Amino acid sequence: MLDFLVGRFNQILFSGWQHFSLVVQCLILATILAVIIAALVYRSKALISAANSVSAVGLTIPSFALIGLLIAPFGFGVLPAVIVVAFFATLPILRNAVVGLSGINPATVEAARGIGMSRFRTLMQVELPMAWPVILAGVRVSAQMVMGVAAVAAYALGPGLGGFIFSGLSRLGGANSLESVVTGVVGVIILALILDLLLIGLGRLTIPRGIRV
Amino acid sequence: MSAALNESALTQSETGDAGDEAAGPIRTAAYAGGLWRSWRGLVYQLVGIAAVLFGLIIWLANTGLSATELTTLAPAALWGYTVEHLQLTLVAAVIVLVVAIPLGVALTRKRLRFLSAPVLIVANIGQAAPAIGLVVLLAFWLGFGFWAAIVSLVLYAILPVLRNTMVGLQQVDQRLVEAGRGMGMSAAAVLFKVELPLAVPVMLSGIRTALVLLVGTAALATFINGGGLGILITTGVNLKLTSVLITGSVLVALLALFIDWFGRVVEHLARPKGL
Amino acid sequence: MSESSKAASSPSTSANGITGASILLDKVTKRYPGQATPAVDGLTMEIPAGKMVMFVGPSGCGKTTTLKMINRLIEPTEGKIILNGDDVTAMDGDKLRRKMGYVIQAGGLFPHMTVATNIAIVPKMLGWDKARIAARVDELLELVSLDPGVYRDRFPKELSGGQQQRVGVARALAADPPVLLMDEPFGAVDPITRLRLQDELINIQAELQKTIVCVTHDFDEAVKLGDWIAVFNEGAQLVQYDTPERILADPADDFVENFIGSGAGLKQLTLTRVSEVGLAEAIVAHPGDSASSVMSRVNAAGHGHAVIVDERSRPISWLSRRQLSRLDVIGSTTDPKLPVVGNRATLNDALDTMLVSSAGAALVTGRRDVFEGVIDVKTVMDAITAAHEAAALESDDAPVGLNTGTMQRVSQPAADGGAAAGTEVDAGTEVDAGNEATVMAAATHEQAAE
Repeated sequence: MLDFLVGRFNQILFSGWQHFSLVVQCLILATILAVIIAALVYRSKALISAANSVSAVGLTIPSFALIGLLIAPFGFGVLPAVIVVAFFATLPILRNAVVGLSGINPATVEAARGIGMSRFRTLMQVELPMAWPVILAGVRVSAQMVMGVAAVAAYALGPGLGGFIFSGLSRLGGANSLESVVTGVVGVIILALILDLLLIGLGRLTIPRGIRV
Repeated sequence: MSAALNESALTQSETGDAGDEAAGPIRTAAYAGGLWRSWRGLVYQLVGIAAVLFGLIIWLANTGLSATELTTLAPAALWGYTVEHLQLTLVAAVIVLVVAIPLGVALTRKRLRFLSAPVLIVANIGQAAPAIGLVVLLAFWLGFGFWAAIVSLVLYAILPVLRNTMVGLQQVDQRLVEAGRGMGMSAAAVLFKVELPLAVPVMLSGIRTALVLLVGTAALATFINGGGLGILITTGVNLKLTSVLITGSVLVALLALFIDWFGRVVEHLARPKGL
Repeated sequence: MSESSKAASSPSTSANGITGASILLDKVTKRYPGQATPAVDGLTMEIPAGKMVMFVGPSGCGKTTTLKMINRLIEPTEGKIILNGDDVTAMDGDKLRRKMGYVIQAGGLFPHMTVATNIAIVPKMLGWDKARIAARVDELLELVSLDPGVYRDRFPKELSGGQQQRVGVARALAADPPVLLMDEPFGAVDPITRLRLQDELINIQAELQKTIVCVTHDFDEAVKLGDWIAVFNEGAQLVQYDTPERILADPADDFVENFIGSGAGLKQLTLTRVSEVGLAEAIVAHPGDSASSVMSRVNAAGHGHAVIVDERSRPISWLSRRQLSRLDVIGSTTDPKLPVVGNRATLNDALDTMLVSSAGAALVTGRRDVFEGVIDVKTVMDAITAAHEAAALESDDAPVGLNTGTMQRVSQPAADGGAAAGTEVDAGTEVDAGNEATVMAAATHEQAAE
């Protein structure tokens, strides 16, 4: 095991970094997308329930099935992996962003409008900061989930640690096959924990002290 | 279509309400509206699943399929894979319920409560493991096949049921527990007659989450010869048969949505009245 | 003097109608691990059969802990609990609790069970057959003034807060337990509903004569409901245990005085109940009667109003001459703002009601809301005078209550108060357990000697 780790240290680091960076970039994209969508829908009950249905249905679709569907038009490589990871990353954040924005006390919003803040300004300076803890909780859920999704995405020859799992599987019984799979699995767990810690730290830095729990 | 359904919902609620003299016509109407609203999503979901399935069949019928594709996608073969997939899901689900619910109950009892936080932390970390990795790792240990797949499925789906059982029990108003004990109900009677019934909605949603996870993860069982619909996806990729690949993916997704629908129906029916 | 203390002064009549059991807490102590001072420290207390005893005190004073030790929801660390002379400290807790009704704030109804199922829980555990349970459920719903046909199959969420509380009381009474324990029973309802529920509890108690122990933080509620009031300070130190009249007239120390708050004189008004003063007659008519004949009866009697009652003699409206003159036939409409007080309401409540009524008087109803008569301001004024005279009289039959714990200094005034009453009473007649009574009496003397 140790030989395996030392021998492929650079490859492991590189794959780990690729995995991490795929997930983080998709998360950033997903957060922006989710917040924009939530900001567009949160004032209408019908749109809220539509958005909730979309995220519920989307989360029900197995990631492996979606990868299969995307291989058909996009072939193998980075693109289907990015689409799948970003898709699944968006859904929990969207759900939480809608809940966070629509859960704000109307009196607070009214107060903001009452002192002459524009709608956009109210959203940026009052509503989003107040909903941010809920949104960030969604980001954490997303992060943990898409770490695993990114591993499955390696089936479509996407980047990252999933490659170790699939290559171990294909050489089953061969030299270092078990080591390869263990590296993939443990690597993903470690990355998930690191990212979660980073997100907790981000929460500490960005959640206003007045609404911290 | 929609009007007819609406009407049937109305009659249903009226018969259901007949015993309650005090419920005036206004209340009955509002109730019927609520009933339709709460069932509407479920009806849409089922209609959507049927529509996509229908579309898939039409598409397959109108695409010129090669001989290999025709063999792979023969109705009997598809049905066989679906049954295998459901077997994987349901066997794993039963084991999950048998393990996770008693465990959840035990961990919320006073004497074991101190263990609940560590157990949840371990389970959460375990959940961070990628499902595909878990499936493959266990195959190294237990060999290929159905039961190795079952073990990894069970491990993967235990957390939501365990967590929701614990949360469901913890959110039961402690004053109700005390009221029960105060009336002379034994601890077991309070558990079975008060705590568990009140925890049912939360527990059921955890069970539904687990079922959906199981359907998705069961698609990975094909990598270790565990059976199921996943074989269509791998076959499609390996042999570059796009129609097989798409059929497999869509069927897995539809099965997950159907199981989710089924879970929602059960939640609807099993939710204790009065909540 | 209220009739409750009169009843207490004649233990020989206790067999008449009393279905309650006496309770004795014998040097009961509760220590929690890791806490330096005990939550309850050596409390000895006698709760007479068929009486309503109120535990009052600031929050966290241990009154709820004491209550829960009676049905052993909280197990005492030391001491004994004696129910009707039997030591129940070691008996099976669940079986004990089936013999004691338990009512908590907001009723504590199980939301997933119908009203009937909620009430049937204890009878079911006791193995009653279905027919008997069904009959009992209806009987109890009647008792708490809920129409069984309407409410039997409802779920708790379909009831108002007050109705939930009534069902909570019905559930506690289901198996006809001799003892009823109530923990802030009316804490979660609005003030008006609270007054009505209090009146109803008084009515029910007059009928059933259970032993009721009720925890409240509301001193007015204690004065209104209690035959006896136990005032607790921190650490469940029993500061004073006496009748409401005497606690108001003669608080044991500053703590009790502060707890009573201002207006002790006015609170005396809450000690007299409507049923204890003379009511004025009224002209009674029914829906469907001719208005002119009712009018002539009103004129003949020299009254200003006629009371309209329904087929169960419950008042539904109160028509003035002017209103009568505009009618041909008496209608059956119910006036929602009808000034009604129960006959167990206090004069204080009656005064409140009549001050907002246009007639300057209020209708009095008895059991099951049956109309009894009219009360006016003059009646209340006379009663105030009478109450002042009555407060001068003293009863000398207070049950025993004292602390033998370590916090002697704080409990001293309480012991004095308890002893003053306790030494004079023949404890044997009050408490069925002779031995314990002797021990207690001895303890009381010791305290007095100090």
